[in-house]
Amino acid sequence: MDYFIELVVSGLVTGAIYGLVAMGFAIIFKATGIINFAQGEVGMFTAYATWSIAGILGTGAIATIVLAIVLGAVLGLVCERLIMRPMLGEPVLSVVLVTVGLAVVLRALVTIIWGAAPHKFEMAGADRLVEVGGTAIRVGQLSVIAFLILALLGFWFFLRRSRFGVAMRAVAADEKVARLMGISSAKVQAFAWASASALAGLAGAMFAVIYGLMPTIFELGLKAFPATVLGGFDSILGSGFSGLIIGVFENLVGGYASSTLKEVAGFLLILVVLMVRPFGLFGEKRIERV
Amino acid sequence: MRSGNFKQKYSDLIVLTDSPAVKAWLVVLAVLLVAAPWLLGNYALSHLTIILFTLVGVLGLTILTGFAGLISLGHVGFLLLGGYAYAIAVTRLGLPPEAALLVAAVVPAFFGLIVGVPSLRLHGLYLAITTLAFSYIVSAAILAGGSFTGGGRGILVMRPTLLGFDLSSDAAFYWFCLVMAAIALLFTLNFRRSYAGRALVALRDNDIAARTMGIDLVRYKLLAFLISAALTGVAGAMMGMYLSFISVESFPFLLSIEALAIIIVGGLGSVLGAVFGTIFIVTLPDLFNTLMGLLGEQLQGLMTTSAHEIKALLYGVAIIGFLRFDPRGLLGIWHDIRHAWVYWPLRY
Repeated sequence: MDYFIELVVSGLVTGAIYGLVAMGFAIIFKATGIINFAQGEVGMFTAYATWSIAGILGTGAIATIVLAIVLGAVLGLVCERLIMRPMLGEPVLSVVLVTVGLAVVLRALVTIIWGAAPHKFEMAGADRLVEVGGTAIRVGQLSVIAFLILALLGFWFFLRRSRFGVAMRAVAADEKVARLMGISSAKVQAFAWASASALAGLAGAMFAVIYGLMPTIFELGLKAFPATVLGGFDSILGSGFSGLIIGVFENLVGGYASSTLKEVAGFLLILVVLMVRPFGLFGEKRIERV
Repeated sequence: MRSGNFKQKYSDLIVLTDSPAVKAWLVVLAVLLVAAPWLLGNYALSHLTIILFTLVGVLGLTILTGFAGLISLGHVGFLLLGGYAYAIAVTRLGLPPEAALLVAAVVPAFFGLIVGVPSLRLHGLYLAITTLAFSYIVSAAILAGGSFTGGGRGILVMRPTLLGFDLSSDAAFYWFCLVMAAIALLFTLNFRRSYAGRALVALRDNDIAARTMGIDLVRYKLLAFLISAALTGVAGAMMGMYLSFISVESFPFLLSIEALAIIIVGGLGSVLGAVFGTIFIVTLPDLFNTLMGLLGEQLQGLMTTSAHEIKALLYGVAIIGFLRFDPRGLLGIWHDIRHAWVYWPLRY
């Protein structure tokens, strides 16, 4: 039973990181109708940049986290302005392939700039152990779950209450009508990229703090896909929550079955889910007309 | 001078080429390609061989993504299956190489059908993820396969003797690749103008409208997956023969991206574009290397230490650049040049 609880707790931690990345996928999909295949790479690039800058400035834990969020948002804005904005109105296939190109470029840049050797991402107090429900857990791991809950609450409030959040939902529901109502879809896209990248940056930095900084962090994006698919691409909150499901499921498979199976457990789960509900667990069913 | 597009028969519209000049140049090109082993040095010949077997795989992706509009991010999975099917058939089952090559087409085709089934329910982006998942599952399965697949150690493959021809020399292997690429090229060109090819394009452009015109969506989407996977599998087997060694590491995920980059850079949905794209992308790292060499020793040093990353960077930049500035790709540039050549000094 202890083993089971341990697996569930560490699954929740990785799941929370997946959830943060998955929310980013859903935000961009909701606002622009495309999947950003560079989500994991944005997280990795931000993590490396944060590590470098935090190392130079010698910032504390909270300042480092703020730095990661800000750097992620800036990177997202730059990518959006330089690469995605000119692609507005192009076919979905082209836009998605551009993000694939962006992903490959970011991945290569990380290895060229920082090298392939793993580093330790030091953060003051993140390694301290606390006792939760009978198992010891690091502060860094605990805080990831807290961040996910904060992000979920923040976005729930933002989408329901704030004027801009409602504008974002309007663009997602019908871009043409939203534009006729005076909403700038370019601004919505810029905001979506900034916030999604900020979430990815936070997730990437926290992943680096907990598991170490290495050029394979981009796989977070691949691992978080199943979460977004499970939650439904147009459900931001559903995606965040599904991250936890995927994380725990993956860890249980890894713990009780085999570690090779763990790597693909999430994908196997969504293959089954998609066959039954092609629009995800919390997604809206689309009706298509010619 | 050519006078417009006056056609009398339907078959005139779908004929591969109606220009005697094009036919004459094709004959010249064919002669040059056959004579290449005597004309080129070792390095250039092996480069040409790489272009040829890459072309076979790229034509497979062209049928799926170019014609049918189904994005595949996991084509490396079919390459892997083809390569491993060939290697296992030859080394473990003791089949003759001819039969093994057939197995290398049939096994991926079968898995193509399995991956194709979700495509009937899933649209665009969901499908891209399913194929991505598929390629990861394939490499995980091969790594977990134990002694049957060689696990992480891989399988050693000798250059075979096919139909009495010994392929162990570089020239013989080049001719083998040339023949395979020519067959694949002719097949793809003719497939595009057959009923099935036109049905796929119709499904790509508007699947609901195509279905109301009586096109069987299930049948043709699965057919696209089947043919695409088979062609890619054969390319995987050829790649394995070229490397003389098959392992999961020799088929990195980057190959899926490379194939996508090729069909985008060449011009999506066109066979001629696929040929241009293959030549361009396969040659790109070498071009870049020479360029860096001209700029300085230090930059060339970077090229040798992180060749894989530079390659990835170039593919990514090529994808973004072409989609951003000229989505028609190299094919569009080629059309512009040809147009200017034929109609000069008039603009049109």
